[in-house]
Amino acid sequence: MTKEQRLKKRHAAEKRFRLYGLTSILVALVFVLILVNNIFSKGSSAFMKTVINVEVFFDPELIEIENGAPEENIREADFYDITIETLLKAYPAKNLDEENELIDLFTTDAEIEIKKAFLENNNLIGKKINLEITASDDIDQLHKGNYPRNLPEDRRRISNFQLKIYDNLLKNNKINKNFNNYFFNNGDSRDPELAGIGGALVGSFYSIIICLLLAFPVAVLASIYLEEFAPKNKITDFIEININNLAAVPSIVYGLLALQILLATIQLPRSTPLVAGITLALMTLPRIIIPCRASLKAVPPSIREGALAVGASKFQSVFHHVVPLSLPGTLSGTIIGLAQALGETAPLILIGMVAFVVDIPSTPIDPSSSLPVQVYLWSESAERGFVEKTSATIMMLLSFLIVMNFIAVYLRQKFEKRWN
Amino acid sequence: MSEAKIKSNNLNVFYGDKQALFDVNLDLNEKEVTALIGPSGCGKSTFIRCINRMNDVIDICKVTGNIEIDGVEINDENLDVVSLRERVGMVFQKPNPFPKSIYDNISYGPKIHGKGETKSELDEIVERSLKKAALWEEVKDRLDEPGTGLSGGQQQRLCIARAISVNPEVILMDEPCSALDPIATAKIEELIDELKKTYTIVIVTHSMAQAVRVSQKTGFFHLGKLIEVGKTEKIFKNPDNKMTQDYITGRFG
Repeated sequence: MTKEQRLKKRHAAEKRFRLYGLTSILVALVFVLILVNNIFSKGSSAFMKTVINVEVFFDPELIEIENGAPEENIREADFYDITIETLLKAYPAKNLDEENELIDLFTTDAEIEIKKAFLENNNLIGKKINLEITASDDIDQLHKGNYPRNLPEDRRRISNFQLKIYDNLLKNNKINKNFNNYFFNNGDSRDPELAGIGGALVGSFYSIIICLLLAFPVAVLASIYLEEFAPKNKITDFIEININNLAAVPSIVYGLLALQILLATIQLPRSTPLVAGITLALMTLPRIIIPCRASLKAVPPSIREGALAVGASKFQSVFHHVVPLSLPGTLSGTIIGLAQALGETAPLILIGMVAFVVDIPSTPIDPSSSLPVQVYLWSESAERGFVEKTSATIMMLLSFLIVMNFIAVYLRQKFEKRWN
Repeated sequence: MSEAKIKSNNLNVFYGDKQALFDVNLDLNEKEVTALIGPSGCGKSTFIRCINRMNDVIDICKVTGNIEIDGVEINDENLDVVSLRERVGMVFQKPNPFPKSIYDNISYGPKIHGKGETKSELDEIVERSLKKAALWEEVKDRLDEPGTGLSGGQQQRLCIARAISVNPEVILMDEPCSALDPIATAKIEELIDELKKTYTIVIVTHSMAQAVRVSQKTGFFHLGKLIEVGKTEKIFKNPDNKMTQDYITGRFG
């Protein structure tokens, strides 16, 4: 082979390699785009809810309270009759069946919404106000265009009569889309229009905080000891290998461990953020120790020697110099570990967090859900309304993960000190 | 002729199974510069790292034999290495300032030894140390800037100032100029000349010229053995040993 041929071959090889690299990046991008597009197109509508504008007349004969009544009395008062009265006024119904179908257009919480409006404005007796009542899940989906209306009636959840009412309301501008506050404030519900991630958010928050409080100090101290103080012998080698192995253990195994030890033996309350936090801490511990040790290792030995040479003790050289320098790596490793823990589902299912919890937990020992488990729960539900809720929850989860990873990168770049 | 400040007696050093120093007997005189020369891997650095017990950092390193400073044995398990290193400072091959401000680099040592109780005391120590290291004029207006932002030669003088700050008796220098350009090297050499009035200095160097310029006594190491030691003039003009002769004339190494 002549020199020119060799040169040509070398150039061709390089070009080929660049092409392979470019292709794989493009393929990866396409997959990411498909994923993101899928989630967004399905989930973005969940942040809005359909409301139906009705006129409420607070008939003194139907509610037995007076203006200025104390709040407890209002809370206990019966608003059922007035609710039915109000909803029936939305469209003329001829018989009981039609009336039921009409009422089904609204959320089952219509009474609560009317009561809330009354509470906020405590002198409405005998007055008429316009109120936007949340529509039922079926109407919500119909209005968002997720519901096929050209199916035969017996294969639809919405009857012809209901469609007629919907079209009429739409024509009269009675149907609107509002920001879906229920999605953020409510716990889980059997009714998709009322279901929210409030409970899951709080549950995830408690779990992650407990995980952080348990895992971070233990992981940091363990890494400092192993990296700086422990003698290098067979025992520490063995520990190191096992930390690496533990980081690779499937998370469901930690779930089983927690089920046996935390729930069955110690009898901590099941389905609670407390147990979830401890389980996640166990799982996250090795995953934090590894980056912590790596960032300690990355501090050049010359810094340690420099400190020792001016007469710093081992302890002083580690805590005055090495640890502060390793902090950016330690923190970003911790945050990335926590982000993994935040997205973890399997171990939480095993400790009973998969339960249907309506109430928003007020303490870490209340039963609760968590974001990824909520995704899992809703993805199994049959109602159409839960499809968008599932995707919207994924969007929330992903945005938390992105924010956490962004913070990790930011911390690393901001506080990283350069040495020669 | 000044007194012997440091005496080593049958010093042996092992890294695991490998022996790095063989029965080294070397006396270092007070307020004098002793240069250690020899080919790479001959044990010069290992020897000076015994004087401030820096080899303790290396797990597999084992030191036998005696080293005395002012007649006190320092190769003793019960000896407090912190107070030893307060007395024996060290400057490394590569400048290694802490990634902190110039001020903090100098004040760190005095602080941990409780030498600067107040801010004004510390200020004084910082100024004195930097002046002694001939760096004061260059950095006095930017003491709060990072030490790592200085040039290589300045960084090395900063490290010397850091070593001086705790007021040691001995300064060990492990090839302090090998990472520096000739001008920076000249400055450090001038500085060494000045410092020897106050401190006992041991310098490891690969440059014969540097050994001649800065030292009064020279030791030649080869394969872990101290081959010859004597007045610098004698070693370079008229060595007793054939190997020394060959090394300084550049025939090997």
